[in-house]
Formats: sequence, structure tokens, C-alpha cells
Amino acid sequence: MIEIESYDFADDVDYAASQQQGSQSIMRSNSGKMKDPEGGEVVYVKDNVSIHPTQYMSERISGRLKLVKQDDSLFMMWIPYKGQNTNTRLSERDRNLYTIRPLPITDVRSIRRHTPPLGWQYLIVVLSSGLAFPPLYFYNGGVKEFLATIKQHVLLVRSADDANVFIVNDFQDPLQKTLSSLELLGVVPVVAPSSAAIAVSPTSESQEKMAECACDTNCGSEFIERPKYKVNDPARDFSIQLLEKFSLVTKFARETTSQLFRENSGENLFLSDGRKPNHIPALPAAPPKLPPNDVQKVSDEVHVPEDPLEFYKLALIWGNPRQPPLSQEEWGDFLDSEGRVVDSEALKKRVFYGGIAHELRKEVWPFLLGHYDFNSTYAEREYLRSARKEDYEIIKLQWQSISPQQAKRFTKFRERKGLIDKDVVRTDRSFSYYNGDDNPNINLLYDILLTYSFYNFDLGYCQGMNDYLSPLLFVMEDESEAFWCFAALMERVGPNFNRDQSGMQAQLFALSKYCLVHWQLVELSDSPLHDYFKQNDCLNYFFCFRWILMQFKRQCADIYFSSFAHHRELRYEETLLLWEVLWTHHLTEHLHLYVCVAILKKYRNKIMGDRMDFDTLLKFINELTGHIDIEPTLRDAEALCLCLGETGAACIPPGTPPSLPLKNALVSSQLEDEILGYTILRKVIADQIASAKEDDLVAFELVFRWEW
Amino acid sequence: MSYAYLFKYIIIGDTGVGKSCLLLQFTDKRFQPVHDLTIGVEFGARMITIDNKPIKLQIWDTAGQESFRSITRSYYRGAAGALLVYDITRRETFNHLASWLEDARQHANANMTIMLVGNKCDLAHRRAVSTEEGEQFAKEHGLLFMECSAKTAQNVEEAFIKTAATIYKKIQDGVFDVSNESFGIKVGYGGIQGNAAGVGTSTSQGGGCCG
Ligand SMILES: Nc1nc2c(ncn2[C@@H]2O[C@H](COP(=O)(O)OP(=O)(O)OP(=O)(O)O)[C@@H](O)[C@H]2O)c(=O)[nH]1
Ligand SMILES: [Mg+2]
Repeated sequence: MIEIESYDFADDVDYAASQQQGSQSIMRSNSGKMKDPEGGEVVYVKDNVSIHPTQYMSERISGRLKLVKQDDSLFMMWIPYKGQNTNTRLSERDRNLYTIRPLPITDVRSIRRHTPPLGWQYLIVVLSSGLAFPPLYFYNGGVKEFLATIKQHVLLVRSADDANVFIVNDFQDPLQKTLSSLELLGVVPVVAPSSAAIAVSPTSESQEKMAECACDTNCGSEFIERPKYKVNDPARDFSIQLLEKFSLVTKFARETTSQLFRENSGENLFLSDGRKPNHIPALPAAPPKLPPNDVQKVSDEVHVPEDPLEFYKLALIWGNPRQPPLSQEEWGDFLDSEGRVVDSEALKKRVFYGGIAHELRKEVWPFLLGHYDFNSTYAEREYLRSARKEDYEIIKLQWQSISPQQAKRFTKFRERKGLIDKDVVRTDRSFSYYNGDDNPNINLLYDILLTYSFYNFDLGYCQGMNDYLSPLLFVMEDESEAFWCFAALMERVGPNFNRDQSGMQAQLFALSKYCLVHWQLVELSDSPLHDYFKQNDCLNYFFCFRWILMQFKRQCADIYFSSFAHHRELRYEETLLLWEVLWTHHLTEHLHLYVCVAILKKYRNKIMGDRMDFDTLLKFINELTGHIDIEPTLRDAEALCLCLGETGAACIPPGTPPSLPLKNALVSSQLEDEILGYTILRKVIADQIASAKEDDLVAFELVFRWEW
Repeated sequence: MSYAYLFKYIIIGDTGVGKSCLLLQFTDKRFQPVHDLTIGVEFGARMITIDNKPIKLQIWDTAGQESFRSITRSYYRGAAGALLVYDITRRETFNHLASWLEDARQHANANMTIMLVGNKCDLAHRRAVSTEEGEQFAKEHGLLFMECSAKTAQNVEEAFIKTAATIYKKIQDGVFDVSNESFGIKVGYGGIQGNAAGVGTSTSQGGGCCG
């Protein structure tokens, strides 16, 4: 049995600090008993414990933190002072929102202590549900006593891996206690993804083990309800990062972001008053003097690059920095000796942030599209390739063996054949791979499309499919492989080609709904662009039709009108990059919708300033073809996706294309946790949605019923 | 570029009849055998001169495929003129005209001027619809009519300009309230010349061009 490392508070610098401060906090547990109005016994009270709902230190909500003992349970509560907000912009509603009503300490999973080099100590309380409260800043000290008091009532274990994380255990069952401590000590250090460079702040701190990971297994019934994390899941660490940056998020999302997006573009937009991004807003008062022995401690924490908070803010607004494409060496590292992809999530994440080197696409795309299983070995894939080739030939033979007499009596076949025949000669013909007379690749397009229309007779052939196939054939350079990748891709985007347009309708509807929520909640409730669209009959978002239908292909590949061959090839390349990023389904299956919003936001001022009506807007968007810079747009889309988190995602009904069938549900629920840190923001938003312009949502429904 | 009037045109008709080629021939004066099929809509524009007035045509080249109809319908609104195109070598494209017309009547302005275009008349040897049939259909439905070839450019200018002249005449006759933009007409800074593409009012009549 492993002994629980009990934490001796006496050697903690906080303790010394609080002693020096003359202990302004009121420790009641040992002195006279105080009764709480609710009848419990107040064992800890601290005034001037504040939260910072905005990125400005001057905007804070102060209140009183209490620990109350009732019967044998300990409760924590934090009540903001009435009418004492430092800033009038914080409404009564904000106040209520942040109030921590009596909360059993047993609901707390962990408490993380932060001692920034400047400013006040603060704690982040993470609940066993995964939710976290905004950081509590102790303006009058008292962190030490707070922890000590809790420790007197419940088992408080200091994480073996991070001295600043305290894990709350309240198991009556001694066996469970043992197990929990076992897990704590046995945690494998987090392995940084092989693509260590991906996320600047997350990975750097991910090496610092967060003990919360191990806690999951201890959470009793919650364990069933919540997705289980892999102990060394870097995404999990990322989410903890997010949790900790929470206090920024709320206001950030609601204010800075909106202010930013109100601008068209720009480097120096970070703060309204012109301060540079890397500059922390001025503190309202001098930071408390730190005792000399704190210096060591501070420097321990400083290995975090510059200021992770700033990095994080940047990620929230700009998305994470983009990476160079996945290289041959890196790809090799993802494979085990038999060719299995060891960590498919890490691979997807890597591709999400950088795409794939062109010569590797042929190998990696089949995995992304689901044609190859990540768990398959080289040998299995070799076998699959030949088996699939035979399958393909068999299906192909089905139409090849139709005699002219038979065709005469087979109208549907003749129609499809005729349509495909007409369309393959109008598919990316100015791209070198398909240009020139009697180009054999055009015949391959024809064969594959017609074969597919037999493989999936119900869906058949529809214009736009040719546009999806063309890059696939170009990349795969093999008829059968291109066919199967195409078939896999159609599992996702096939609904775009439903005769009744239901797939497109679903996506446009989701987009419009998302936008409404976005404009209202992120950009505050005036949502001018929404109102603008409403006035100008643009609420159906038809102007995004082509973007969605072909996942921006024509947007990048400006083949029709562009005159420089070199330029065209470049655009083709951008399509490939964008697609592989979308196909990772990292963060969301619907990144393409976020890309739409990102572009609309970018041009919002222009759209409204020029008073574009539906026609003008449509034309404007058509003319953006070839003018959209993929990398920054992807970053914007990522930021949007993070910003509204599940609330945004909730606007996109389950099953909206290109969602995959449910067998992948597990994966996506895990990914959702990357946005765990936004839980409270989500709560804010959920409340606002409830009161949001209900009639506008109704208006959408009407628009859609009418138009389709 | 200043114009006296701006007319919004739509080009509609089955997929593959040559709508995009007609537009390209009209705006760029070339036949482009390799271009992409149309998804959604593409735009083109050109200045013409009618009655010594510069008129800008803003042309919407729509997708012909049936399953895109629900989206293409939303482009009809506010069009002053339409080119309804079929392919004289493919009978079915002619047979579908009625349904296109119905769409147009339902979703476009009632006063929209419609030009029926029988395209690809350079392929006379493969003709599947006679000129008379086209004429007849146009007459029955009150449409202008012309046979064209986007390939040889035959009658292409004429089709666009004749339509514009008809719209212009309707304006002169007071059929439209031009201040109401839902008629697909915008009034510009009247009569300023010099930027026009230098095409005079066409008086050529509709009818067969290739026997
Ligand atoms: N011989 C001949 N061929 C033509 C003519 N006009 C178009 N074509 C050919 O017909 C095919 C279809 O032309 P498009 O202009 O793309 O047809 P569209 O009506 O725009 O079709 P969608 O965009 O699918 O609605 C192309 O391969 C052209 O080369 C013509 O006047 N003569
Ligand atoms: Mg076309």
C-alpha cells in the first residue's frame, strides 16, 4: 500500500506569507463558533475575494468567501457584495451569475493554486463534473487558511506531480481512497504529441502533469456519465488550460472579440486603447510584496512561455498558430512497426494545424476519409487495396456490360451517362492534370463517376461530385483508390447532393442559426449583421450555398476566370489543404460552417457599409473567389469554434452533414471536452439564449419553410 | 463606369445548353470550350448602347441542373430580362422549356422580358428542334426568339441587345416604375457616353440563322 503523501502546510510559503500579513482572515474553526444564517457553522470567512469577469483587472466583482459546516459536510460559498461592483458595466445579472451558492466540498475535484509573479494569489476550483468556477482572487490573502480549513474536514491531497494542485477526496471507502492515491502516484507523465510545436501554450504546460486527469476514475457515478479521458491525452491538458483561462474568456468573447471583429482586419486591434497584445492591462494597485523565499517558487512557474494567458487570448481570437505541413519523418513517427497509426487523434490534430506535405497526401487521405482504418497494418492495407480493386472492377463491369439495346430501355442510365459525359469535360480543365484534348484523366473521372452512380444508385450522380472527385484522383493517382476515397467522402458530403436539397438546407439552416447566436452573444445583443440580413432578405444564407456545397473548392480553385497558370495551381493546392483540415473533424465536424462565419465576419463592415442587398452580396461573395487567404481564415474559424463552444455547436443539429454516422460518437464527445473550459461561458450564453430574440429564431424557421 | 440604366439579366435553361458559353461570348467575345460547369451562379457584365444611352447589363448565369433549382429560383427576383436557353441538338432541353417558364413566371417580375434562345445552331447536322418549333413556342408564350451559336458568335450580341432594346422601350412606354428596383432596372447618371462597348441598337429580328 502506498502511503498518501500528506501535505505539511507549515512549509508552504503561503503559510509564511499569511503569518506575515498578520492573518487578516478570520479563522473561526478554532475560536468562537459563528452561526451561518442557514444554520451551519462558519469555519472560514474571507472578505475581498474577487473574480475578474473581464480581462481588465479593474473590473472585478468582490465578495465574501465562506466555508460552512453543516452536520458532517463542508460547504463552500461565495457571495458577491451587493451594489459594490467596481464597474457599472457589470450588471446585477452578472453578479447573480457568478454567485457560488452553498456547494458541498465533496463536489470539488481539485483546487489549483496560482501565485503569479505580479498580482494576487488565486485559486481555481474545479468541480467533479468538470466545470470550473472563475478564478477567485484573494485580495486580502487567505489562500493558505482556506486550504488548511478544507483539509481539516475532507481529505485534501497534494498532487504528486504538481505541488499547486490539491485534490479533494472524500471517499468513505478506504479502498477507494487507496486506489485514488495509487492512481495519483502512478500517473504517467504527459507525453507531448509528436507534433510538439502545435499549440504554443498548451503543450508547453502539458508536460507539467495535471493530476486532475487521474481523478476521473474516482468519480463514482459521474464516471459513467462523463467521457473517460486517457491519462496522457494532451487534449485533456488543453482543456485544463482552458479552464484556467476562463476568467478571460467570458469577457473576451463578449467584448474584445466583438470589438476585434468589428474591425475589418488588422494587427494592432488587440485592445481598444491601442495597447499591444503582449501587454497585460495595468494593475489598479501595486502588487503585494512577496516574501523573499517566494522568489524561487516564482521562477519555477516561469518556464511557461512568456504569458500563457496572452497566448491563450490570442488563440481565442486568432486561432492557434498554423504549422508547416506534416512531413514524411513525422508521419513515420505516427506509425508503429507494423504500420498502425498509434494515436489517431494526435494525427488529426497535427493535420488540423498544418495540413499534409503533398507527396504524403496519397498515404494519409485514405485514413482521414475513413477508407483505411487507423488500426490497420501495412499488410492489411495491402490486402485491402487489392480486394477493393477487384470490388471496383466488378461494379464498373456492371455498367460496362450494358449493351446498346439494353441502354435503349434504360433511361436513367442514359441520362446519367449523358450528364457525366458532359460534365467531366467541364471539370478543372484549366488545371494541368486535366487539360488538353483527349486527356486520359478525364476518362478516369468519367469511369469513376459512372461506377459510383452504380455503387450508390440512390444518390446517383449530381453536379459538384465531379468537383470532389477531381482532386481525389489527382492526389491518389489510382483509379480504384480514388474511387474508394470518393465513396468514403460521399458518406460525409453525399447529403449535399440529395435531390430534395435537404442536406444543403440543414447546413444553411444551422449556419443561420449559429450566426444569430453568434452575433447576439459574442458581439453583444445588437447583432447588427443579423438585423441587416433580415432587412435585406439574406437570412436564408443562400449566398453561402456554393461554399458549403463544395467545401470551398471553387473558392480557392479559381480556374474559370483566372489567367495565370501558376496562380491556378496554387489555388488548387489550397483546396487540398483546406479539405484535409476539414476532414480531420478535429474540434468539430462542421468547421466549414465556421469558415463561412469567419469570412462573413471579415467582410462585415464592407457588407453593411456598402449597404449590399441580396444580389450585391451574392455577387460580392462570388468575387471573393481566389481572394480568400486560407491560413488566417482557418485560424479565425478555429477561434470561432472555441469561442462559442458547445453553445455554438448546439446550433448545428446532430446529423447535419457532413456528420459521420454514430459509431464515431465517442471520439467526438472526447473532443468536445477540449472546450471544457468554456463551460461557464456556455452557462452565461445558455441563459442569454433563453432570452434571446426568440422571434428571430422563429423567423428563420419561417424563412426556411418558405424558401424550400 | 457610368450608365443611364442598369439591367439585371438572368440566363436560365437546362444544364449543358451553353448558357455560360453565351455569356462568355457576349462579355469576352470568345468561345471557351474548357470551363467549369456552373454551380450556383456566375456573373458577367457589359456596357451596350441603346438609343445613344449607355446601358449596363449585369448578367446572372445560373446553374441548369434540376437539383439546384430551389437555389437558382432565388436569383430570379428583380431581373428585367431573361435569356431562356435550349440546345437545338437535344430535344429534351426544348421539352423542359415550359417548366422553366413556369419558374420564371412564378419567381420573377411579371414584366420581365424573356428571350428564347435556341443555342448551338452551328451544329445544324445534329438539329433535333426545328426553327419553326422554337418560333411557335415563343409566339405562344409571348417571348422574343432567336437561334444562336455561342461557338461562332452568331446572333449572340443580337440576343442580348434585342432584349435590352425591348426593356428600354418598356421604360419609354412607362410600363415600369424605374424608381422601383424590383423591376431589375437601376437608373444611373443618364446619357453619359464614352464608356460603352460601342454597340449600337440592334434591329436584327429573331428567327433561324442556320436553316
Ligand atoms: N458546338 C457548340 N457547342 C457549344 C455551344 N455552346 C456551348 N457549347 C458546348 O456545350 C457544353 C456546355 O456549355 P455550357 O456553357 O457549359 O453550358 P451551361 O448551360 O452553362 O451548363 P450549366 O452550367 O451546367 O448549366 C460545353 O462543352 C460547350 O463547349 C455552341 O454554340 N456550339
Ligand atoms: Mg454554366
